[in-house]
Amino acid sequence: MITFEGVTKQYPDGTVAVDDLHLTVPTGNTTVLVGSSGSGKTTALRMINRMVEPTGGRITIDGQDVRGQDPPVLRRSIGYVIQQAGLFPHRTVADNIATVPRLLGWSKSRARTRAHELLELVGLEPEHARRYPHQLSGGQQQRVGVARALAADPPVLLMDEPFSAVDPVVRAGLQDELLRLQAELHKTIVFVTHDIDEAVKLGDSIAVLRPGGRLAQVATPERLLAEPADDFVESFVGYDRGVRRLSFFPARHLRLRTDVIVTADQTAGEAGALARRLGEPWLLVVDAGRRPLGWVSADALDAAEGRRRLDSLELVGYGHVFTVSTDSLRAALDAAVLSPAGRAVGVADDGTVRGAVAQTELGAAIWSVGGDDEPPARDRAAAAGGAHE
Amino acid sequence: MSEAAAGAADHPLWGWAVESWTWGWANLDDPVGPLLGEHLLLSLASIAIGLAAAVPLGLLSVRYRFLYPPVLTGVNTLYAVPSLALFFLLLPYTAFSPWTAILPLALYTLAILVPNVVDGLTQVPDHVRQAAVAMGFGPLRRLLLVELPVALPVIIAGLRVASVATISMVSVASLVGLGGLGGLITDGFNRDFAAPVVVGIVLSVLLAFAADGGLVLLQRALTPWARRDARPGRRRRRAADRAARAATAPRPAGPQPEESP
Repeated sequence: MITFEGVTKQYPDGTVAVDDLHLTVPTGNTTVLVGSSGSGKTTALRMINRMVEPTGGRITIDGQDVRGQDPPVLRRSIGYVIQQAGLFPHRTVADNIATVPRLLGWSKSRARTRAHELLELVGLEPEHARRYPHQLSGGQQQRVGVARALAADPPVLLMDEPFSAVDPVVRAGLQDELLRLQAELHKTIVFVTHDIDEAVKLGDSIAVLRPGGRLAQVATPERLLAEPADDFVESFVGYDRGVRRLSFFPARHLRLRTDVIVTADQTAGEAGALARRLGEPWLLVVDAGRRPLGWVSADALDAAEGRRRLDSLELVGYGHVFTVSTDSLRAALDAAVLSPAGRAVGVADDGTVRGAVAQTELGAAIWSVGGDDEPPARDRAAAAGGAHE
Repeated sequence: MSEAAAGAADHPLWGWAVESWTWGWANLDDPVGPLLGEHLLLSLASIAIGLAAAVPLGLLSVRYRFLYPPVLTGVNTLYAVPSLALFFLLLPYTAFSPWTAILPLALYTLAILVPNVVDGLTQVPDHVRQAAVAMGFGPLRRLLLVELPVALPVIIAGLRVASVATISMVSVASLVGLGGLGGLITDGFNRDFAAPVVVGIVLSVLLAFAADGGLVLLQRALTPWARRDARPGRRRRRAADRAARAATAPRPAGPQPEESP
């Protein structure tokens, strides 16, 4: 556990970077410090490993004041991932990763073995070990940066906007990778970013800092999106927070319709009759293995010759699908909005169709999880039982 | 033999070349060989001493920025003092020992080496330096294991310029009897005899080329990481990167929620 107890950093010219910060970072969790530039988030991070010394208050790691240790020794026990990776250009990837173990006096062979383990852990090929950083892509460099930070297996990991210098696709991949690693390693991570989406995706809790280095709010991501403490936090998390909050609600409670599903070997006549009976403008065609083939409109069925098999007709693409058991309402909404038929296809883990949901039904589900003042689904039982405003 | 070839053979330059070659070969053991050795020794000693002085001066100038402007002005001023004057100024102290040549030449290299050491160290990217601090390097280890190695290509670039300049300048010291190959040149002019002059110039230039080439090889050996030439496989690697990216493409939604209780 890392605690900030009234920590202040004031520079000699009077600028206050961090102002009386009280914050607890629980062990094994990811805490994200988020804020615009000038909010002191990087300064706060760097005070943990004494790259910046506070002018007031104190920081402890598991009860030990960080000022009790010689800075270089302290830093070797804390992993650090810097923006742009900060790899040493004159050292191979393996030697970069082995940096802290070597500083700690490990033997060359032990450090080397460890470097190869970590290379694998962060998803790089063994042949990358002998390359130099400039021979890697930005995303690969950042992976090496993470591997280097983890090399001596420190309990605490500090990450200073580690993914901000790579393109959005690579960034999303690295974020997923970090979530996977953290699920395995349970490090105490302090992560700095200016990107609220990144904070929501990665954080177990989020601390929003306002300019001048004052703490605006600390909360879990869903709580932050649901109940911003004030106008500053609200504007910072963005006015589309309602939609983004849907990420925290599972799609599996959606009522999926199976009656609109027809198989490819049925005829246009049969399907047309079904569509008329249901009053549905679209039917979903699946193959014999119940995998989605596409949408067929009631109009197209009426126009087609009654004996034709459905798979001989022109189908409208089904677009994105969402996985019912693991995806969120946001993914389902996204799939519906992007579908030409205005309906989202829900699939099981093996890709077979579980059912379809129309935007209107999705709307009802979204409405039922509530306006901004309602707590998320997982807290609903508690709220129903009592005094939640 | 054709008329044109005969004309070329009659050309005065051709005559000089043949005469110089013959003279140089005949006098290889004395004085050409020893003078070449002396030239090499004087140059090497000057550059080595210059480098040994430039590195600490450069480090101080980077550590204490306010020192750099006076240091730079100082070494540039020294560079502006005519070499001849410096040789004669030193004569009372060092007499005709090699130091009379070496000390001024070493001082001259500072004007090239100090700015290169400073530039080399200041162009170490900030994120690299920060990372070194964050990994737990103490100041000395950071300097020796990170900053100086990363600065090496720029320092060696300075060394190449300094070595060529020094090798050409050694000849001037022949005026105080210490010039290496410069001795051949003054001797030739005194006797109104072209061959030693030509031999002195050619060997001096070849020595400069050799020193420069040696430093290029040294740089390639010491800084394999700085080679950015495209190698086969680079294109393949890029394609592999793209494939890897595609494989880790994100899904539209954020983190997935846990099971509701």
